[in-house]
Amino acid sequence: MNHLTSETFDKNAKAALADVQLRGALRNATSLFGKRRLEAARSLNNWEDLRTAARAIKDDVLLHLDSYLETFEANAKQRGAVVHWAADAAEANAIICKLARDHDARTIVKSKSMTTEETHLNDALEAEGMQVVETDLGEYIIQLAHETPSHIIAPAIHKTKGQVAQLFTETLGMPPTDDIAQLTSTARATLRDRFASADVGISGVNFGIAETGTIVIVENEGNIRLTTSVPRMHIAVMGIEKVLPRFADLDIFLKLLPRSGTGQRLTTYQSFITGTKRNASDEGPDELHIVIMDNGRSRMLAHPVTRQSLACIRCGACLNACPVYQQIGGHAYGSVYPGPIGAVITPQLIGIEKAAQLPYASSLCGACREVCPVKIDIPRLLLHLRADVAASPKGNAAERLIFKLWARVMLSPSLYKMGTMAARVMQRVMPLSRAWTNGRDLRPVERQSFRDWWKHE
Amino acid sequence: MGAICVRLSDRVFETGGSMSSRETILKSIRSHLAASPPDDPSESVSSVIPISVADEPVALFKQNLEAVNGHCVVVESEEEIVQQVTRISGKIAISDAPGLNRLFGAQPVENIFDYDVGISTAQAAIAETGTLVLDSARERHRLVSLVPPVHIAIVDASSIFHTLGEALAFIYQNGNISPAVTFITGPSRTADIELTLAIGVHGPQELFVIVNKGPSLSN
Repeated sequence: MNHLTSETFDKNAKAALADVQLRGALRNATSLFGKRRLEAARSLNNWEDLRTAARAIKDDVLLHLDSYLETFEANAKQRGAVVHWAADAAEANAIICKLARDHDARTIVKSKSMTTEETHLNDALEAEGMQVVETDLGEYIIQLAHETPSHIIAPAIHKTKGQVAQLFTETLGMPPTDDIAQLTSTARATLRDRFASADVGISGVNFGIAETGTIVIVENEGNIRLTTSVPRMHIAVMGIEKVLPRFADLDIFLKLLPRSGTGQRLTTYQSFITGTKRNASDEGPDELHIVIMDNGRSRMLAHPVTRQSLACIRCGACLNACPVYQQIGGHAYGSVYPGPIGAVITPQLIGIEKAAQLPYASSLCGACREVCPVKIDIPRLLLHLRADVAASPKGNAAERLIFKLWARVMLSPSLYKMGTMAARVMQRVMPLSRAWTNGRDLRPVERQSFRDWWKHE
Repeated sequence: MGAICVRLSDRVFETGGSMSSRETILKSIRSHLAASPPDDPSESVSSVIPISVADEPVALFKQNLEAVNGHCVVVESEEEIVQQVTRISGKIAISDAPGLNRLFGAQPVENIFDYDVGISTAQAAIAETGTLVLDSARERHRLVSLVPPVHIAIVDASSIFHTLGEALAFIYQNGNISPAVTFITGPSRTADIELTLAIGVHGPQELFVIVNKGPSLSN
């Protein structure tokens, strides 16, 4: 099990930097994703308009989130879905456990859902004695390896094909090979039975449409279609921020999400699920349960800067663009959501005390802001959170004192003059802290101050 | 650390009495929004200018489908449809589309996991992405188009829309939408291992689309 936490981020990052194999895998993956995203964005001549429109829609949704959620619930219920509300992770797990228990579930198939990673749903279900199988290939790999995902879109991106092959040989008895097509068909064959015999399918939700009560889920592998079509019960877990107002809004978001995530125009499958089947003899589950979860999201609505955190559509583009993520990968963040978006939502979801280092996991280069399909200003959010950290008990008291003194000096011309004269002397005698100079070059203080020069010109 | 599955003894299902989670969440949303300072106004965009598509839809559809490893043939008659289908061997499961039953006979599908080939029609398609639109209310093809390793889909040329937006308007019109609609763009795929493309994961490994320029099968 992955034991890294956000509290030891600095240490985690140093360890990740020393992992040559990981860095190679990350370099290949993130540069390929980045290249494909760019090509896909350029293939549309209205990409910037799409981003602006998407952000405007999200801003509207978040400002009226309560009423859009109520409309979504009403429409979903009208079409036969049962809608549950979970204030936090424990409650979401309790709701789902109870549904599975009441339904006598033995085998549960799951498709990739970061929201269920967030709640550690699999642990909860297994504690009840139920077997949960992850069906997305990347998630299946890390489930077998007892690890956590290291990327929002490609959970096993940190593993080489050799590592996957060894894993499959050890856990599935597969004959040794590292041919990727073979590995994939091994996974397909092994999971087929599970799909056929599963009692319950659990999925996430990419978008919930208020106007119709539809849940929309996108994928490439087909495991989501199987998870949501074959078992008799489908449970879909949706964060409160996933709701969109109108069905037609999908024209914008279905253009932005696949291109930003993987560089595809469309992923192989989109499932638009609205309630339950009309006739008992039709194909599909008998029951649809939608679990709407808060778990700390509603707090982010309290300020415009933090509210935009909830605009995120979980595409992963910011991870691929981030020079920090590119070097250290997802596990070092010690959180369910890594990368730039993880650095801003993790402190807000789990508390600044538990993730105080994450807002500093950035050079503020802004690459994430450039690629974000919904124009989240992540650097601004990072600065906002840094201010919170500095003001909190986790902040550095010495740093607070130094900045107080600095402010006094800068506000007073005479103190400033004395300060620069002192600096001219001190720079020869006392070097600056290595923590400062290790990553920075500093020019020596000028021999004549500007004010002196000005006076004598 | 693991999550605990709390046995809340039906508290989550209470509607009366102490505040439900639904009310807790809605109240939290409202109070945090009310406490928020005002935001800068959003950038406005009146509407997103749609991209005009000049190319003929059938050719564009074929080009885009083949770019994602799908196979596409264009036919002009029912005979050609039958010809194309009989080229593919294996145990065949057919959806309940009336035209298909006429051409290939109606056999009840027993265990869908036992079949090699699934045949269905598609209610529409999208040229700009090479996508099929399957509406489960109009045809029983949800599993036939998913479980067997080969999927053959027949779509009328006249049902091919240029854009995604048009297809979305087609599946949701007059306030109606089917319980399950699926968009299919090529065979199933993954790049989860070393970002190397592998075709054929859980969904079909091969997708054959027959674009029918002749009279529609559903007539």
